[in-house]
Amino acid sequence: MLSDNDIKRIIEAGLDKKADYVEVYIEEHNARSVSLLNSKVIRSGSVFDSGIGIRLMSGVNTVYVYSNDFSIESLIRLASDAADSLKDSNSSVDFKLSNSVRTEPFIVVKDPLLVAKSTQVDFLREASDYALGYNPLITQVSSSLVSEDRLSRIINSKGINKEEMQSRVRLTFSTIATQGNEKQTGRVSPGWQQGYEVIENYPLKEKAKSCCDQAIRMVSAGYAPSGMMPVILCNGFGGVIFHEACGHALEATSVGIGNSCFKDKIGHQIASSCVSARDNARIKGEWGSYYTDDEGNDSSDLLLIENGICRNYLVDELGSRRMGMPVTGCSRRQDYSYAPTSRMSNTYIEAGNEKPGDIISDTEYGLYCADMGGGSVDTSTGEFNFAVNEAYIIRDGKICEPVRGATLIGKGQEVLMNIDRVADDLELAAGVCGSLSGGVPVTVGQPTIRVSKILVGGRK
Amino acid sequence: MDISAAKQFMKRLIDKSTSYGFEEAECCFMQDYSMSVDILNQEVSSYENSNEQGISFRGKVKGQMGYASTTSFEDSAIDFLLKEAYENCLVLDDEDEEFVYCDDNDKELFHDQTTPSFSKNTCASFSVVGLSLEKALKDIDPRVTAVDYLSISCGTGPVIVMNSKGLSSYKDSDYVSIFAEARATSEGVVKTAGNYWFGNDVDLFDEKKFVDVLGKKLLGKFGASSIKSGTYDIILGNEAFISLLSTFFGSFSSFNMQKGLSLLADKEGTVIASEALTLSEEPMLDKALLKIPFDSEGVRTKSKNIINKGKFETALYNTKTARKANRQSTGNGFRSSYASSVGILTTNIVIKPDSLDLEGLCKEVNNGIYITDLNGLHAGVNAISGDFSLQSEGYLIKDGLLVRPIEQITVADNFFEILKKIRVVGNDVINYPVDMGEFFSPSIVIDSVSVSGDE
Repeated sequence: MLSDNDIKRIIEAGLDKKADYVEVYIEEHNARSVSLLNSKVIRSGSVFDSGIGIRLMSGVNTVYVYSNDFSIESLIRLASDAADSLKDSNSSVDFKLSNSVRTEPFIVVKDPLLVAKSTQVDFLREASDYALGYNPLITQVSSSLVSEDRLSRIINSKGINKEEMQSRVRLTFSTIATQGNEKQTGRVSPGWQQGYEVIENYPLKEKAKSCCDQAIRMVSAGYAPSGMMPVILCNGFGGVIFHEACGHALEATSVGIGNSCFKDKIGHQIASSCVSARDNARIKGEWGSYYTDDEGNDSSDLLLIENGICRNYLVDELGSRRMGMPVTGCSRRQDYSYAPTSRMSNTYIEAGNEKPGDIISDTEYGLYCADMGGGSVDTSTGEFNFAVNEAYIIRDGKICEPVRGATLIGKGQEVLMNIDRVADDLELAAGVCGSLSGGVPVTVGQPTIRVSKILVGGRK
Repeated sequence: MDISAAKQFMKRLIDKSTSYGFEEAECCFMQDYSMSVDILNQEVSSYENSNEQGISFRGKVKGQMGYASTTSFEDSAIDFLLKEAYENCLVLDDEDEEFVYCDDNDKELFHDQTTPSFSKNTCASFSVVGLSLEKALKDIDPRVTAVDYLSISCGTGPVIVMNSKGLSSYKDSDYVSIFAEARATSEGVVKTAGNYWFGNDVDLFDEKKFVDVLGKKLLGKFGASSIKSGTYDIILGNEAFISLLSTFFGSFSSFNMQKGLSLLADKEGTVIASEALTLSEEPMLDKALLKIPFDSEGVRTKSKNIINKGKFETALYNTKTARKANRQSTGNGFRSSYASSVGILTTNIVIKPDSLDLEGLCKEVNNGIYITDLNGLHAGVNAISGDFSLQSEGYLIKDGLLVRPIEQITVADNFFEILKKIRVVGNDVINYPVDMGEFFSPSIVIDSVSVSGDE
């Protein structure tokens, strides 16, 4: 691995040419995984990879090079050649390599990479066996457990020299119910930045039952209706709607180049007054958390929307240069093969004061979304789409028959203004967000909310 | 790392595997050199250059195949790979046997498809192309206010498969791709559209054609509104059909069929689609940019009809699923990266075109919808049942003519029902990269599809 002097030489090679900012990112990644299908272990894998990414900037002009060849002479040549393609910054940077500061994982009691695979298999198999015997309609049960350690070191010409170890575990359990040609899925996929102890304490058998029940209910459900109607979104993963419809459009990646529907909106109302939202990277043990971002800045608990008013954007180094705003510690990347950019961490709508039951009983007719799938957004136009995994018709203030195949579409600006009820049952859920700097672990969240009208795409 | 050093490392790895107790062993080396240039506001906003390599090992102990991978080529990496793969074998209890392949006639396949034009790809040459393209896009119309994303990239790198049965095969290829997304604004309404090109030689890039297509897509969206919910006959545009087909193509995987994850299980030899549909896989297709001579298991790839005039002739197999089905692999056992296990992926998929162009298809439909874009395919589908409900855009067809753009609608149906409801296949073939190769498809006409709108 590279010495401090090697890294200093790489940074100086960039600064000697035209760059006004040079950053070196070194990563070591260890992962273990095990997958079961119908209680049989069909896959068990191990990965160790490492690499280095070097980013140089001259104003907003950026060069990024990466490799997993750590020979120092080739890296200096790479940095020097890369700097040649920059515009000359005409600036002189006084660079001194400071002493390294290391941040440790949030909470890791039992290193998951050291837990025997057979122990992990036993844990998954017990719940798989249970699900397979739960009901004859359950025809497939899949489960997997992925554990990883990621050691990142960030050194840049501003004097930052930091190292952070992040350990994550993610569990996925899914069931398929079959009835004739119809197959429907029930699924949970929690993730944490914690040790194996969180897995040992996770009530997987109970969750397996929920997955079976969800798949069985949906396999006999009719198709969802079509048209504009009130929609109640459950707590937890329902927060994907905020993540897609609003969060991405608050990232400097889009605001900084003017292609966000929320550009120039700081201090303006962009959501209903009952909506406040945050991006908090510092929640202990959460899947999307980190102390140090991938530019070496301290992460933050950032208020994005306060009572409907836009308060902050998510700003990284490049966004800061483009927008003239300070960085917010939100720069992230999947791994060394991606240049970092502004991304969300744990993003959620804050809890309100109402009870979920009151919101449902006050709704004459609409759709109750009990489990959401993923979605996507065009940040320029605000147009989004979300899949609904499990939904029910609300009739006369009561949750009635299940319906399947619903998609919600609309424009983020309009939907945020149409949120008219917010409950007090805030819950968070893990996911992976894909964007310019790859797939990063994020948490989405919200309490139960109602949108007064949204277009439901069904088949009836 | 040069190729001979990589081969020596692989040989040492295979040779040492027996001392760890492996009965069979295989390793796959992949290297990737890539470069990309992004343009924003008439400047090179970003330049990326990379050199990556990795190796994956799989070996069999007592009938179970364990995997491990790394980017390290130190001597210690050999012991890491063997130790981890061995320990992984010990927890497996897969009922379907995986094995290492070798055909005495195809032991040393070699296919170097790299082109001399690759050496022309530099930051400077890409900058010239990119700056000109950005200017041309902005000059389409005063309503085009920005080109938010414009990237030109290229890549190359060898793949080597070696195993303990004497197989040692090599392939290499290269590509150049260009993607741009432009934004237009009119009376406060914002629209975006993108276009994509790829080939081997950036000098063959036709800027005018690219700009014309993107401009038509983008400006054609102004004036869009929703429509009434109902059932419509639709033209599913070539791009939209490729995105839908590739999303559900896992149903043609024998792995999914054998595991009860595809409704096409036990349907080989039966009619599953309209007679209008013939769909083949052609790994070495002349007009394809990427020709795929062998898969990640070293099996020579083969041309075959998957659907012939509506009849499902064959699923896609790797060696493991083929053995279970008591037949030969179809050469579809691929790793998507060095760190992936061997799954089932496609090479070049071709929908056989017919005679009608888009104008002819509109006349065929007479009254209905032309769908140009389907969004949310990663979420709004049930990959097993085939159900989908997707945010869509397109045009209203009235009396055989495109009369106005449509937005804020969803199209909902079932993939397997759609295959049966194909009335006509057009001739407007486009190609788009999917998995290991490309999908080639024209637009198609589908009868009676559910559409939701709020008009």
